[in-house]
Amino acid sequence: MEKKVGVYICKDCGIGDALNIEQLEEVAKEYGPAVCKVHDFLCSQEGVQVIKDDIQNEGINTIVIAACSMRVNTDVFAFDPQKYVTERVNLREHVVWCQPPNDENTQRMAEDYLRMGITRAQKADPPEPKRGDLEKTILVVGGGVAGLSAALEAAKAGYRAIVVEKAEELGGRVREMKKILPSKPPYEQLESPDIDEKIKAVKDHPNITVYTNSQVVTIEGEPGMYDVTICSNENITRKEIDINEEVKSGGPARFPLPECSSPETVKAGAIVFTIGWKPYDATKLEEPFGYGKFKNVVTNWELEKMASNGGIKRPSDGATPNTVVFIQCAGQRDENHLPYCSSVCCLTSLKQAKYIREANQDAGAFIIYKDMRTPGLYENFYKSMQDDEGVFLIKGEIQGLEENADGTIQVKVENKLLNEVNVINADMVVLATGMVTNMVPEGREPKELTRDQEYIGDIVQKQTEDGVVEELVPYPIALNLKYRQGPEMPYLKYGFPDSHFICFPYETRRTGIYAAGAARHPMDAAQAAMDGAGAALKAIQCIERSSEGYAVHPRSWDQTFPVFRLESCTQCRRCTVECPFGVLDEDEKATPQEHPYRCRRCGTCMGACPQRIINFSDYSIDMISSMLQEMKVPDESELFPYIVGFICENDAYPAFDMAGINRLQLPPNFRLIRLRCLGGMNLVWVSDVLSKGADGVILIGCKFGDDYQCHFVKGSQMANERLGKVQETLSRLMLEAERVKMVQLAINEYDQLPQILNEFAEQVKEIGANPYKGF
Amino acid sequence: MPEERVLSPDINFIRDLKKVGGETVKKCYQCATCAVVCPMSPDERPFPRKEMIMAQLGQKESLLADPDIWYCHNCNDCSKYCPRGARPGDVLSALRAKFINENAIPSFMAKIVRNPILALAIPFVILFLVLAAEGHLHIPEGKIVYSHFFSIHTIENLFGALVALAGLSYIISLVRFWGKLKSLNGTDYKMKFGDAFVETIVEFLKHTKFTKCEANADRKNGHMLVFYGFVGLFITTCWITFYYYVMKIHSPISLADPMKWWANLSALSLLVGILIIIGNHMKDKGINTKTSSFDWTFIIMILLLAITGLLTELIRLAGIRQLAYPMYFVHLMFVFYTIVYFPYSKLAHMGYRTLAITYYKMVGKDVM
Repeated sequence: MEKKVGVYICKDCGIGDALNIEQLEEVAKEYGPAVCKVHDFLCSQEGVQVIKDDIQNEGINTIVIAACSMRVNTDVFAFDPQKYVTERVNLREHVVWCQPPNDENTQRMAEDYLRMGITRAQKADPPEPKRGDLEKTILVVGGGVAGLSAALEAAKAGYRAIVVEKAEELGGRVREMKKILPSKPPYEQLESPDIDEKIKAVKDHPNITVYTNSQVVTIEGEPGMYDVTICSNENITRKEIDINEEVKSGGPARFPLPECSSPETVKAGAIVFTIGWKPYDATKLEEPFGYGKFKNVVTNWELEKMASNGGIKRPSDGATPNTVVFIQCAGQRDENHLPYCSSVCCLTSLKQAKYIREANQDAGAFIIYKDMRTPGLYENFYKSMQDDEGVFLIKGEIQGLEENADGTIQVKVENKLLNEVNVINADMVVLATGMVTNMVPEGREPKELTRDQEYIGDIVQKQTEDGVVEELVPYPIALNLKYRQGPEMPYLKYGFPDSHFICFPYETRRTGIYAAGAARHPMDAAQAAMDGAGAALKAIQCIERSSEGYAVHPRSWDQTFPVFRLESCTQCRRCTVECPFGVLDEDEKATPQEHPYRCRRCGTCMGACPQRIINFSDYSIDMISSMLQEMKVPDESELFPYIVGFICENDAYPAFDMAGINRLQLPPNFRLIRLRCLGGMNLVWVSDVLSKGADGVILIGCKFGDDYQCHFVKGSQMANERLGKVQETLSRLMLEAERVKMVQLAINEYDQLPQILNEFAEQVKEIGANPYKGF
Repeated sequence: MPEERVLSPDINFIRDLKKVGGETVKKCYQCATCAVVCPMSPDERPFPRKEMIMAQLGQKESLLADPDIWYCHNCNDCSKYCPRGARPGDVLSALRAKFINENAIPSFMAKIVRNPILALAIPFVILFLVLAAEGHLHIPEGKIVYSHFFSIHTIENLFGALVALAGLSYIISLVRFWGKLKSLNGTDYKMKFGDAFVETIVEFLKHTKFTKCEANADRKNGHMLVFYGFVGLFITTCWITFYYYVMKIHSPISLADPMKWWANLSALSLLVGILIIIGNHMKDKGINTKTSSFDWTFIIMILLLAITGLLTELIRLAGIRQLAYPMYFVHLMFVFYTIVYFPYSKLAHMGYRTLAITYYKMVGKDVM
């Protein structure tokens, strides 16, 4: 396509007062645009009309708007991205609002940005979306309350759903519950779970197929085109492989996927993952809570089942208990057991206290808590239970339990509020044990599953050419994905699937697979039902957006796809390993195999590739390198140091906008280049910058670690790791490593930018000018 | 090592407490705002949070020996600031009412007092029988002289005996309370009983502690007028006895007599005081202080006592015989009520609070 560039410079918002606009026009004209216009008020109807007329009359297809931030006026400067390339040069927030007006350096900065912007636009092409007729069935793995809701909601929205449940019956754990928490005002009455109606509705729905007593044995493919193999329990065999044996032979130490003697294959477009939870293993709580040692110590789950099967009876003699002690956080919020709060056990104990009180008017239910946590409107239920004269809430720590001769349990509590020791002789003690996601296999402890490893599995020692290396071998659990990175989803902590819990619920690190219910995080039945519905909507969105060729999340407007120039691939595996979303598989020779619909377009693969063979139509290695070439690095006497910043467009870019909006003065030494994600940072650009004669490079990306803020989970972390290798590049150029720095910045930390930039400029100043300057 | 307490909550105690004005007791979630805003609460083991916790746990024995519930002067700042609407001030009030009921001897009397109709029916029957026995079941002729109706000696013997019985009962109750205070809270004294007691009485006369409850300052005036009204009427009784036996002056006494001035002033003080208290209760209702039926019954009885007393005098002066004698009869019913039910009524707080504050001073916990 022939590029016809139009450059439009706006003078409003102080731009015209602070910059020499004629000079800017001259700079633009160096690039031979078809038109170059200055307007007093470009975002006005009249201003936009100027651009539209040029598109119409002059055939402009590449629009460079030198005005405000790309994050504002997106509705005004909206030109069909499939036909036109639009580039926004941020003269307002990033230049005139944070630099002194009519200053030589301010003008210099604006001109650099204009050059880079025009270059960027020239190097970009409109995307060629992959539109496809995709499979629209939604596979629901797990038929508990969350899964049933997901299937029902999907079916109601007109999509086919397939439910695969491992147990004989649908309904999961909620089916075994006597009551669930109140769902409507005044939140005082417990409700019977409507799970039986839900099961019936699912079974009767013409668009839902149910497989009970079955499991998923393989999933291959990508959103819109998954091939799923379902197998009934009795036909599944799991061949045990002796890992040690494999290590000796040096072969791949993988667990085999389960094998099925009579598989059934179905197609699916997206997957809802609702495999539920299990109670924490109470046998580990013999000390200090006496579980297993004393007959009358039971778990909350055991009590619930007792309540729904004929009533609560004391295990030792079958009598109706008169005094029941509930011990909250039994093993929870405890580094030795479950380090987290399950968020529902306080409510469960209040619910069960109601069972006790309703069965016996004079019964006393003691709840010994660390903190009562009753989120949301359940506070009202807590209040109503607190008001019951037979419910005794004690903030305290258990000192110990002893069994009396008559089978009652003497519970000693350190009452934190009265500063005394309370002794309670209880007929029964109920341990409020927590919820463990079914992502955690039997025999594994959630506390071991910290963020050090991405997948649940075993570390094995593997013989390679470089000697013995430790490698994580992931377990197959419920999905059995045939993905290069592993058969299940990466987890964040304690086995819960990795996703940004608050910003992006249901998202996982496998595009097209949405986690919901207590497998995702501990929650109660009502929340799980809602969660299932939410995940179903995400699944539908995934299928629909994918079939139009859009990225699903978070770049939901993006129709580009990474393009692999495979003839230059050296099979180094960096892209297949580093992709945070497991997009790429490998063939036998380790050449990457694309699965475009799994892709989120972050460009991490582009940043990883040492051969620079991965690019997008509007985002490429060459594009950024060309932009770097167009910067005019001034002489040391004019502006020193001269530093290039690669910034993440999700947090760092708007942070700079905020700095501008707040008129923070920033040093004139920096030229910022936005990246989709810092994960796309290719090291070749560092050598480009330095060989061009700039004095330093700063990378500003999102926070990583446990509470990461990266929209692409691992992008900024990857950039940081790559930076560890930049030393090599720098020493080849005979340059100091301190010229390159990585900074983690959250959007609300914009006020720290002046300090960050000044300090780095100072640091580079001390190192001295880049010896390549002027070459 | 913290002390040990075996918890076997008295659920019925909690239910009762809810019935006598402490229905909000279970709402407390122990934030301690109450203990912080309370101007009376000591730094060590502050109240009323701990009383709220113990009440929620049904710890009847500890609560009924707790001097802190008496240290509270019911300004109800705590209830005003309580974020949970647990109304600690009202719960303490209820605890005091409960305590008075539980601690007084004999306990069947407490049941009678809880039923105002029955409580008034008893003096009616007794006074009626006395009149019948003296053959005075008719309105006497001639000038209105109340001793023609009930003879001075009858009144003296009857009410003398009643005061003695009620006083004995009250003293036993106070001794019981003192015993509980000592046994449950220790005897690590820093001050002698006598000194502490005198200091307490002086404070009472000045209403020093009441003044500290700033949030509810108007209550002080009402309380003071009622308090001094009773003191004045007590002095009147002594004065008139002195006139009768020493000066041989018999009633009715001239309005110009200083004793009459004193008596009328005391009666007015009582009436005005109780009206102020009623006014406060009406004003505060629902917003600040809730008033339990225990309190209302008592307030109404005092009001009627004062009104019937003054009417007895006014009607006599107006010379309406047909009304004067029945009014006198009714007034005596309320006098009977006030004296006999003293250990079971709100008035009993006088001795308990005196002892509690004396004890506070002795163990060095007083915040003054």
